[in-house]
Amino acid sequence: MTRLAAGLALLVGAGTASADPLRLRGDALASAESPAGLLVLDAAGTTGSAISAEALVWMAAQRSPGDDVTGDVLVIALKARDPKGRASGQIGRFVSALGALRPLQIDGAGGRVRLPWHFDVEAMAGVPVLATSVDASRSWDWVAGGRIAQRIGDGGSIGIAYQQERDDGRLAREEVGADAGIAFDARHDAGARVAYDIAGKGLAEAAVTASARRGPLRAEIFASQRSAAHLLPATSLFTVLGDTPAQRLGTVLTWRAAPRLDVVADLGARRASDDVGEDVALRTRLRLDPTGRSSLGCELHRSGGASDAAWTGVRGSGSLALPHSFGLLAEVEVVRPDEDRGRGALWPWMLLAATRKTAAWDAAIAFEASATPEYRHRVDAILQLSRTWSVR
Amino acid sequence: MSRRTLAGVALVVAVALAACAHVLGFTTSEPTAFPHRKHVLSGVACVSCHVGIEGPSSALHIPTDEMCITCHAKPHDTRSCNSCHASRETAAELVETKDHLRFDHAKHLAGPAKGNCMRCHSAVAEGDRHLRPAMATCFKCHDKERDARTCNTCHRDLAEENSLPQSHLAHDGDWIREHGTRAASSGDLCETCHSRQTFCASCHGVTVPVLAGPTRLTNPLSASPHVGNFGARHSLEARAEPGACTTCHQPERCASCHRDRGVAGDTRASPHPPGWVGLTSSENLHGRAARRDPATCASCHSGAGEKLCVQCHAVGGVGGNPHPPGWSSRLPRSALPCRMCHPSGAR
Repeated sequence: MTRLAAGLALLVGAGTASADPLRLRGDALASAESPAGLLVLDAAGTTGSAISAEALVWMAAQRSPGDDVTGDVLVIALKARDPKGRASGQIGRFVSALGALRPLQIDGAGGRVRLPWHFDVEAMAGVPVLATSVDASRSWDWVAGGRIAQRIGDGGSIGIAYQQERDDGRLAREEVGADAGIAFDARHDAGARVAYDIAGKGLAEAAVTASARRGPLRAEIFASQRSAAHLLPATSLFTVLGDTPAQRLGTVLTWRAAPRLDVVADLGARRASDDVGEDVALRTRLRLDPTGRSSLGCELHRSGGASDAAWTGVRGSGSLALPHSFGLLAEVEVVRPDEDRGRGALWPWMLLAATRKTAAWDAAIAFEASATPEYRHRVDAILQLSRTWSVR
Repeated sequence: MSRRTLAGVALVVAVALAACAHVLGFTTSEPTAFPHRKHVLSGVACVSCHVGIEGPSSALHIPTDEMCITCHAKPHDTRSCNSCHASRETAAELVETKDHLRFDHAKHLAGPAKGNCMRCHSAVAEGDRHLRPAMATCFKCHDKERDARTCNTCHRDLAEENSLPQSHLAHDGDWIREHGTRAASSGDLCETCHSRQTFCASCHGVTVPVLAGPTRLTNPLSASPHVGNFGARHSLEARAEPGACTTCHQPERCASCHRDRGVAGDTRASPHPPGWVGLTSSENLHGRAARRDPATCASCHSGAGEKLCVQCHAVGGVGGNPHPPGWSSRLPRSALPCRMCHPSGAR
C-alpha cells in the first residue's frame, strides 16, 4: 500500500503539457482484497486534425505472497491522418482489427488508404503483445495482415481480410476473413462476418445479425458459430483434437414501453458439443429522471445447457442522483447453479457504493459482499479515485 | 359497496395511475413546444423572430419576450413567454448544437440555403418538436465529408459529444455481443466516435487485467460482459460458451489468476472432478471436455504443460489416438505440434 500511496502522490502531482487539446486522466483503484491497487494513467493529445497521440500505462500491486508490483503499457500510439480523410496511419502499441479477424494487440504499424470507387485498403504489421503474466521470454514472432473493402452506402461495406502470425519462424496463425454490413434504410440493417483458419483448416468464427426497428420497437436476430480449437495458435497440441464448434441462435427484442421504461428480451439457444440449452434474459430499466442518472433496473437470466454450466439468476440495481454531483448505487444479484458440486446452492452478491462525479473528479467508495464457489462469505471495500485534466 | 367506498377506490386508482404515468414519463410538467408550424402558416418569416441569425454570432437566437410582444401586444401572463411556450428539450438541443457543432448560419443562408430556412428545417412543416435537421439533411451537401469520415468538419469532438447512433449501429439490446459483427464491416465508422485506441484496448488488450470494470462504480449502467458477481459466474459462463473468453483474453490469463488463487497450476488444488483421467474411455471425462473447449485446457496446460498430454497420447502410448475421425493436417510431422507425439515422423 506504500507503493500505492506513492503512486497516488505521483498521480495527483502530474501536470499537463501545453498541447491543445490535451487530456490526462489518472485512475486509482484500491480494494481490501487482491489486487490491492491499480493505478492507470491515460493521456491523449492532438495537434489540429492531422496528428494525435495517446498513451495508457498501468501499475498494479497484488497481495499474493511473492508478487511484486507489476505494470505495463496498454497503448502508446502516434496517429497521423490526412485532413481530407484519404489516408491514416498509426505506429506504436495498439489494437489492430482487420474486418472479420479477431482484434490483436500489437507493437507495430498500421494504416488505411481510401481509393477511388469507394475502395479501402488496410494493412498492419508488427509483433504480437504478450500478457505480462505470461512467464515466457519473447520469441520475436511477427504478425502481418491486410484488408480490402468496398464501402456501401452510409457506414456499410463488404471486405476480405488476411492475417498471418509466425512464432519463432513457425506458422502460428493463418486466417482469412470476410465481412459485410449494410444499412438498407434507416430502419433495416444487417451484418455478417466469417473467419476461416487456413493453418488448421476449419471455420474459426462466423456470425450474422439483422435488425429492424419500428417506433419504440427494435428486433434483432442473430446466429453465431465459434470453434475454440481455431482460436488457439496452430502450434498448440490442443488444435489436433478436431472441430467441436459452439453455436448460438436467438433474437433480441428492445421495447421502449414508456418514455422512461426500456424492456429488453434476449431469447436465445446455445449448442456446445452435444449440449443444447436456452440462454434467456429479460431486462428492464426505469429512468427516474430525464437524464437517467437515477434509475432502477432488473434482470432475470436463465442459462441452460450442460448441467455443470447451467444457472439461473436475478439482478436488481438502483442508482440515485443526489445534489452536488453525489450519487448512491446499490446492486444485488443471486445466482443458483443447477449443479451444486459442493460450491454452495446460492451465490448471493451485493454492492453498495457512494459516488461523486464532477467534470474533473470521479470518486467512489463501495462495499461488496458475496458468497462464491471460492468463499463461503467475503466482504470487500473498494475505493476509486479519478482525476481528469483537460487543456483546450 | 357504498358509493363513498367506490369513490374512494376510484380516487386511489386515479392517483396511482397518475403517479405511474408520471414515473413512466407519460406525463411531464414540461412546457409545450413552441408552435412553430402555426407561425409559419400565418406567414411570419423566421428571421422576424430569430433576429441576427444572418450575421456572425455565437448567440442561441432564441426570441426574447420583447420579440413576442411586437405581435402579441397583450400577454395573458406576467411570466416569460418561453417559460410556457418553449420546450426545454428544444432549448437543450440548441445548447448542445452550439457546444458540439461547428456551424455558421450566415454562411449556409447566403450559400446553399439561398435565404430559405425551410431547405434545412423542413420538419417545421410536420410538427413543432425536434427542429434540428437530421444529419441526412447535412449529407445532401456534405457527402464528401461523410464518405471520408471527416466528421470534424462539423463535429468538434464526437467522443465528448457522446451521441449514440440513432438508426443503424444503434447500441441497443445486447450490443456487447453484436458489436463485433457490426465493427467488422463498419470499423471506420466506429472510429469516428471511438477514435482512441484505449477504448478497444481496455477489453481487447492483453497487457492489463480488465480496465472496464472499475469505472462501473461511477457509471453503473455502462455495458460490460462482467457485470454483477461475474467472478463467481465466470466458470459457468466459460463452460456454456466455449471460446467466448478467448475472444478477448489470452488463455494464459486464466492460468495466472488460478495459480494466484491456488485453483490450478500448482499442487494445492485441482479443478478437475473425480474420473477426469481413467484407463477406459467410459472412465474418462477429460477427452470430451478437451474437445468441447480446448482453449480452457490450454489456459493451464499450454507450452510446457502440453507434455502432460503426450505422456499418454504419444504414438504407441496408452492414451490412444486423440484425433477425430477423418483428421488431416497440412503441417509436416516434423513441425509443432505434430512432432510432440510423432517423434521422427512416426505414424
